[in-house]
Amino acid sequence: MIPVHRALATLAATLALAAALVDARPAIDAATLAAEIEQDRDHISAPELAERIMRRDPDLRLFDLRSREDYEAFHIPSASHATLDELARTTFPRQASIVLYSEGSAHAAQAWVLLRLRGVRKVYFLREGVYEWIARVREPRLAVDATPGERAEFERAVALSRFFGGMARTSVPRSEVPDGYWTGTASRDVPSRAAQAIANVRRRGC
Amino acid sequence: MSPLSETGILGPAGVLLTAPLIGFAFGWFLERGGLGDARKLAGQFYFTDLTVFKVLFSALLTAMLGAFWLDRFGLLDLELVYLPETFVLPQAAGGVLFGAGFLVGGLCPGTSCVAAAAGRIDGLGIIGGMLLGVAGFNAAFDWIAPFYDSTALGAVTFTDMAGISRGAGVALVTAIALAGFAVASRLERQRP
Repeated sequence: MIPVHRALATLAATLALAAALVDARPAIDAATLAAEIEQDRDHISAPELAERIMRRDPDLRLFDLRSREDYEAFHIPSASHATLDELARTTFPRQASIVLYSEGSAHAAQAWVLLRLRGVRKVYFLREGVYEWIARVREPRLAVDATPGERAEFERAVALSRFFGGMARTSVPRSEVPDGYWTGTASRDVPSRAAQAIANVRRRGC
Repeated sequence: MSPLSETGILGPAGVLLTAPLIGFAFGWFLERGGLGDARKLAGQFYFTDLTVFKVLFSALLTAMLGAFWLDRFGLLDLELVYLPETFVLPQAAGGVLFGAGFLVGGLCPGTSCVAAAAGRIDGLGIIGGMLLGVAGFNAAFDWIAPFYDSTALGAVTFTDMAGISRGAGVALVTAIALAGFAVASRLERQRP
């Protein structure tokens, strides 16, 4: 073999080996992400998040993706403010469990995709954003005609609400209990309801 | 930041001016590599002259390693580089047709232009045949269209399909190419 060829082959082999070493993790394909979304593995419920905050889960990293002003006005305890750009550049420890929330779910869902594509494994978001936190953790409501299932869930919610300085309310008219409240299923006009809910929190001044 | 054509640094006029320059450079290197000679090219199929394999795989390795590392150092955004879509059966049939034409004529589209530019009559003949083929394909397109659009996979890469990282793919292709170079040299020595 001609010395130049030998040198070029060695250079190619070195560069290729280095490529495999610096980029060892396979890219996450769209099908994997689609399956995670289909199987509801992309989100966490507000009560589940509350319980993790209560037991001071060391791996939990909570990010508020709303504007800085909204964050200053109200945020979930232990949450840090972050923009999508900051999230895209932050590096997380391997075992970190990241929870994202925004006004509704769109922004947080975009951030979820972004972090999953970067190879961060444990990423979740609140499906109904900050509103879900207020409705299900801070100010849970029990309808006058509540079912036994709702009553059982409410007891758990009262404990959480007390811990986070909220106020649970019982015997409210069914019309004041929002759609999908206990099930956590997505509902419409979340951003406007979130703004209303935050305004109410502040008005009470606690 | 590159690709210069996609990031707008070159501009439309710049792209038009650069394309022929790259084309001439491509042709010049093919000719210097000896790929304007039909006998040399046909030798590929009889394992007597593996110049084509060596030249094209050297180019492929250089481009692949260059693109990977430029992307890694932030000088090239691979997401902006055009990735042709895959149509399994039509492209396989095209490959067979291309190979058969290559073997019969001794030249492929690029090298036929190189041969013609170097004054070889067979190069001109192949270019004429190629243009006839293009016209025939267009005339028969309605009839070919269902097959032409079949077995579409979209813009995929083999690393995505295999579930391995780009880096691992780069290492794998490099290993195959280097092993190929070694085998090619040995075969050429056995059959002078």
